[in-house]
Amino acid sequence: MIKIQNVNKYFYKGESREVHALRDINLEIKKGEFSLFNGPSGCGKTTLLNAIGALDSVDSGEIYLGETEITGLNEDARTSLRLNEMGFVFQAYNLVPVLNVEENIGFIMKLRGFSDSEIKARVQEVASFLEIDTKLKSLPNTLSGGQQQRVAVARAVAAKPKIILADEPTANLDSKNSLKLMDMMRSLNEKEDISIVFASHDELVIDNVRRVIKLKDGALVED
Amino acid sequence: MFNLALKNILFYKGRSITTLILTFISALMFIVYVSMMDGSHESMLKNALKVYTGSIEIYKKDYRDIGGNEYLITDVQKIEKELDKIEGIDTYTARYETYGLLSSSTQSSASLVAGVEPLKEPSMSQLKVALVEGEFLSPTSGNCLYAGVDLVKKLEAKLGDEISFVGAASDNSFAADLFKLCGTFRTGSFSFDASSAFIARAYFDELMMSHNKASYINIKVHDLNDVDTINTQISAKIDDSIESLTWKTLMKTMVDAMEVDSIFGYITISIFYVVIFFVIMIFGFINVSSRIREFGTLRCIGLSRQKIRTLLFYEIFILSSIAIMIATPIGAYIAYYYSVHPIVIDGMSEMYKDYGIISDEIPFSFNLFTITWNISVVYLLNILSILYPMAFINSFKPVEAAHHV
Repeated sequence: MIKIQNVNKYFYKGESREVHALRDINLEIKKGEFSLFNGPSGCGKTTLLNAIGALDSVDSGEIYLGETEITGLNEDARTSLRLNEMGFVFQAYNLVPVLNVEENIGFIMKLRGFSDSEIKARVQEVASFLEIDTKLKSLPNTLSGGQQQRVAVARAVAAKPKIILADEPTANLDSKNSLKLMDMMRSLNEKEDISIVFASHDELVIDNVRRVIKLKDGALVED
Repeated sequence: MFNLALKNILFYKGRSITTLILTFISALMFIVYVSMMDGSHESMLKNALKVYTGSIEIYKKDYRDIGGNEYLITDVQKIEKELDKIEGIDTYTARYETYGLLSSSTQSSASLVAGVEPLKEPSMSQLKVALVEGEFLSPTSGNCLYAGVDLVKKLEAKLGDEISFVGAASDNSFAADLFKLCGTFRTGSFSFDASSAFIARAYFDELMMSHNKASYINIKVHDLNDVDTINTQISAKIDDSIESLTWKTLMKTMVDAMEVDSIFGYITISIFYVVIFFVIMIFGFINVSSRIREFGTLRCIGLSRQKIRTLLFYEIFILSSIAIMIATPIGAYIAYYYSVHPIVIDGMSEMYKDYGIISDEIPFSFNLFTITWNISVVYLLNILSILYPMAFINSFKPVEAAHHV
């Protein structure tokens, strides 16, 4: 489903402080995988996740999502791809502060043109699964960190994307909430057959994924 | 996007209230200020036209530039017959003006002395209603002189006194007579009141040999807006040696002065607007800066740059619309109220008499077209104020913005 071929990425290219952030990455992630990019800080895991998520460009190589070559797309096409094919979970939850939980979860569906009844039903389903259905009318700032992150997961999963990219989703959570989140995400992965790729160095995430892809100094060192 | 914009407005109250208040003040001030400025100009013009100058005047060519008896209209009746055929003319009168020396027993003053038609003049000018003392002229008032109060003061004369006149008749012969001061007037226009005197036309024509002659024919039209059309019709009916001029030409100095005054007025208000514009822009910028992560998240999850621009546009559009919807009826009401009940500042006309201010009233102008363009300018400036914040927020990469602290 995701195919990464000979990907290289530099920061500050041509300058004395040049960093080779991704080195000849070749990788394939199949549909329904529950995998993790792992490694120490600065190893390139978030950079790789951003490249797959069409959030950042690469200097050479190709990344495919299905038949679509992400690396060759212009800004508008990348935006459209993110909207229609991908879901994102961020370390700091990144919910829209002015929207309540229900509206946050249904936001991407709304942008994609789902009907109100479809959105309502799906939001209810996902919220129940993630145990936030009693908080649907609450604003994000009234929720705990764990609840906010579950809302972020619900938002990512609601519109049924092909892949969810989660960057350090447990970094701001305690171990109890982290475990709960990982359980729920694994269940969603199985239930919805959505590929989920994490970038994290959290041991708890490592213990709960089915595939660990290790990176060091921008290179893939273990899969 | 519209609903999200609404929610943002309600959520970010500080920015919303500031923008609302500033836009409200701007729109209200603009409407009221322009209404007052236009009203003052209209009033100055109306008063000036009302005092003595007509909305259209007919002259022999070069009379206004060179003057003198060689440039008098010599067949008034022929022109008057043509004027009777033109619709939209309320009334007209032929005046014979000359300059001469008026003297009392103690003082002399060079003055404008004019022969006017006593029955027609009251509907043409303010001369009759400006009466202060004595009486206005009548067709049979003979050698009665009707003079401005400030001229009478210069001559140190009083009602009933004899005033001598020395001047040149229409055939350039010597003309002199002894008049009796029958009445005094005050129009409020200092220069006019200090240098003008009037005599019944029938008597004056005998003295000046000016039968069927006139310095000019003064015309009052029913509707000032038709002045150009009527002027064109008059010009078509009079011969080439005669010219018909509207108030815009006759009062060019005043029209130019008003234009200059308007320009300075708009410059003043523009400076105010530049300040308001930047304050609104800075508040918009601060607001957007505090929401970088939010916009980054929106971009990451699939909102295009265009949608972000639309969102910001809606926010400023909604805020501007609310403020303008409140400010416009209030501003329009103020403009309307003071157009009907002008502000009165006692003594203003006295203080500014040298500038042609002849009334203590400051009337406003109530004009829906003016109000419309005023609020359009405020709208436009508010919309422009969000362009920089838009460009700023869209300059971030989505992921960079989403992780912004």
